[in-house]
Amino acid sequence: MKASPKEKSLNFLFIAPALTLFLVFSFYPILRTFQLSVFQWNGIDRDMLFVGLAQYKHILFHNPMFWKSMLNAGYVTLLSLTLQNGLALLLALLVNRQIKGDNIYRMIFFLPPVLSGIVVGLIWKFVYDGNFGILNHWLISLGFVQFQDFAWLSEIKTALTSVAVVHMWKGFGYGFIILLAGLQTISVELYEAAEVDGADAWQQFKNITFPLLIPIFTIVSILTILGSMQIFDLIYSMTRGGPAGHTHVPITKIYEYMSNGEFGYSTAMAVIFGMVLLVVSFAQIFISKKLNYNNK
Amino acid sequence: MNIFKAKKILLDIVTHGILISVALTCVFPVFWMISSSLKTQEEVFSSMSLIPQTGIATWISNYRTAFVEANFGVYFMNSVFYTVVGVFFIIFIASLASYGFSRLQFWGKSFFFYLLISTLLIPIPGVFVPLYLLLKKLSLLDTRTGLLLCYISNGLAFGIFLLKGFFDELPKEIEEAALIDGCSRFGIYWRIALPLAKPALATLVIMNSLTIWNEFLLALVVLQDKAKMPIQRGLMVFQGTFITDYPLLMAGLTIATIPIVIVYLLMQKHIVKGIAAGALKG
Amino acid sequence: MFKLKTLVLAQITLAFAVCLFTGCETKEPKPKADIVIWHWMTDRQAAFERLADQYFKETGVRVVFETYAPTDVYKNKISAAATAALLPDIFNPMGDRREIASYINAGFIADLTEDMNRDGWKDIFFEKALAQNTFEPGNEWNVKPGIYAVPLDVNSLMIYYNKDLFTQAGLDPENPPATWPEFIEAGKKLRAANIQPFVSGFGEGWLIGAFAQSYQWNLFGRQGVLDTIQGKIPYTDPRWVRIFELFSEMRDNKLFASGIVTMVNKDAERTFATGRAAMAFNGSWGVNVYQSMNPNLNYGVMMPPSLPEAKYPLLLFGGEGSSLFVNANSPNRQKASDFLRWMTQRGPQAQLAKETLNIPSNREVAEDLPPILRIFSENIKNTFEQLPVIETWQVINFININLQSVIIGERTPEQAAKEVQGEKERQMKVAK
Repeated sequence: MKASPKEKSLNFLFIAPALTLFLVFSFYPILRTFQLSVFQWNGIDRDMLFVGLAQYKHILFHNPMFWKSMLNAGYVTLLSLTLQNGLALLLALLVNRQIKGDNIYRMIFFLPPVLSGIVVGLIWKFVYDGNFGILNHWLISLGFVQFQDFAWLSEIKTALTSVAVVHMWKGFGYGFIILLAGLQTISVELYEAAEVDGADAWQQFKNITFPLLIPIFTIVSILTILGSMQIFDLIYSMTRGGPAGHTHVPITKIYEYMSNGEFGYSTAMAVIFGMVLLVVSFAQIFISKKLNYNNK
Repeated sequence: MNIFKAKKILLDIVTHGILISVALTCVFPVFWMISSSLKTQEEVFSSMSLIPQTGIATWISNYRTAFVEANFGVYFMNSVFYTVVGVFFIIFIASLASYGFSRLQFWGKSFFFYLLISTLLIPIPGVFVPLYLLLKKLSLLDTRTGLLLCYISNGLAFGIFLLKGFFDELPKEIEEAALIDGCSRFGIYWRIALPLAKPALATLVIMNSLTIWNEFLLALVVLQDKAKMPIQRGLMVFQGTFITDYPLLMAGLTIATIPIVIVYLLMQKHIVKGIAAGALKG
Repeated sequence: MFKLKTLVLAQITLAFAVCLFTGCETKEPKPKADIVIWHWMTDRQAAFERLADQYFKETGVRVVFETYAPTDVYKNKISAAATAALLPDIFNPMGDRREIASYINAGFIADLTEDMNRDGWKDIFFEKALAQNTFEPGNEWNVKPGIYAVPLDVNSLMIYYNKDLFTQAGLDPENPPATWPEFIEAGKKLRAANIQPFVSGFGEGWLIGAFAQSYQWNLFGRQGVLDTIQGKIPYTDPRWVRIFELFSEMRDNKLFASGIVTMVNKDAERTFATGRAAMAFNGSWGVNVYQSMNPNLNYGVMMPPSLPEAKYPLLLFGGEGSSLFVNANSPNRQKASDFLRWMTQRGPQAQLAKETLNIPSNREVAEDLPPILRIFSENIKNTFEQLPVIETWQVINFININLQSVIIGERTPEQAAKEVQGEKERQMKVAK
């Protein structure tokens, strides 16, 4: 159906309120901030020094710590995309089997996202503590004596992964409810029909659930990418980027520069970081569109 | 007992096994939070036991002190107001827009869509500075409206992104039939599309409630008047520059967590009831 | 049947609803404040409010204290308010000297020199505390020389030690180690007795830096520190390598509490207060913190042990603890300064010290403090000297990160020193 020009402009009314609010309260401030990325400015001085793309150049070629932080966030994201979303899907499928007590599980799995970051940080620091931590206590009682005194958050090898585990634990609830919402939109009749045709559980999953869930997967994975790449609170409360900078992520780096009065430089970092996220997210959308197309 | 039944029971046991072990890790921090809120400051870190050694008098006094000292009476209602109004407008405006993006034709459609989405991707350090100046220009500093407009606007991009994904998947046949019957576009959106998108809407309500309820940087920067501050401002009282009063903080956090859990419980019912949506799919 | 009219109608309703909110803003009458103070010290709000009441009774001037915390939120609020020219009468930009200088040069902060000179106001303070709020002639940011802030309290960082744990390990609780070798020996004995010897919030860069800086002053003296900042002495100097070695030595002898490199100070304080570590490098505020966590903790304080080979005295991180600045554009500028003058007099300072267990900035009041705090206050004179230049934050950051790096064994002291020098050279190039 082709819409007439008049209809098109009336259709525009659907997005007009969103667009107005968005342009005024999100887009304009962002634009103003980004303007700063070509200035050297500390947020207070009367005059800003125009430096053109010099700060971009510096970040791209002379700031290895920033790129290291990007890799760290990439690592957390990769783990989240696979393990966290795998867990979320598994749990959503299990709960969707109409088992006893599914209501209770549904409630409990959303507790970690609801919990305050303060509580989460405190609890997990207890778990990971080298001397008095629950994790080492268990490991030692299982006979792994080498973990005596092993401080999970302070060792180069384990710090980032340990934080990533907490991040995934705190975040799987989101994927879980979105996937569950998606599963609920799939008609039961489809499964009944498949059952009549003699399809087993795996075939049903492969031929019905998975293809129909692809758009939901896209949403969940983009959310995961955004949430994990922009991880910040947990890092701050658990390691402050340590040991020796090994758990720094882009946002902690950006804030570090900003809190030291480098307004211009930190916004330039944010722009570069945003570009990277943009590319990754659109690649993700593109791939899933392809997948979706192939399945149809 | 036939083999089919045995297999099912076995499967159920495995299922519950997995679910329970994950559930335990989710429940433990909650118990810890509640048990800490019933202890004394000394006891919180000297005893790791989940059972507080204190009497009921301490329990009551902890919660009462937390409630009074954090000025929760005022802050709590403010937060409820911000959350309810904010979420309502986010849902309404975002669903309207995402329906437009999903179904309708207009100029610059994909341009505007990707513009919206791209702001989801870019972290903006220090964006509160231009926002502050903007609110000043609009005379909205230190007003509930100013804060709400920021909240609503912040929630839109994500809402539109999520809902468009769902609308795209909803069957178009019913809507086309309704259109032929002479129903207006808005009517279709309101009467057909929205009810079908209930699971997604419920998801959005949960997530946005959580965001607004926990937000605190913007509120503290934009607001001056204590009478307008949200609940997170109250929690701040217990985390001193030097001393953190853990029992009171945990009591405050417990109080602050309950409403969100209730929202979740109310909303998740709708996530389950959306089955009709897929009626025509396949 | 719905028409597009409905859609238009809905949007009008929406616009209307928005207007309605603006209308429903509560405008309850509130007592008008003469002076508004924004601060970040949540744990002192009650004490501040009591003082404000007292001041109102005495003078009829109404002072309102408003808290915004944690400090990064507070700092954000101040910088936003500054750009919009909406700063309160009294505040603190929470920055290093470079940032304070920007605020002064942009005209946000009042010069208090005249007020300070009147009736000997400036003479009541600890000199070190006032020096940190003073810009000297010839400072590197071209700030007009003068005093720009009023210190409310002072602090210094020393080592707390748990007397009971010392006894348990066979150490003399009345004679804590005074030199570095004794310190290491004591640490070994504690470890042998299955006690974690040393804890501190070394996950927070500034705290690990503060510990290292004490030894920088110990080995280099004022001129040496100055020369390092000015780039005349490289960070690869053997004395700097020695500073890095102190940390590897502590690690090799198992002095550090588990997980120290990522520990924030509040966790470190908890570790010490619950008797899980025998020594803690911490500020004088610790007295109040330990009191709240474990009133029965039996502890003493000692200087960080100095190095036998050092030619200069070991100095302490510290000086002004929290200071307040007066808004230069405030119509109540004079009233604000008068209030701060009142706040730093004997009565109010004694009351603050009693309620918050901090060391008041007023020297005379500090003489009445409890014994442990007395030790800290007597050592205020041994805090770092104010220098006309400061190291760039990037280099300071590199030092802190490399100190952590040495502790976890990622880099040797020599490598760490080289890394820092590399960053120093990059920063000097940028400065040119």
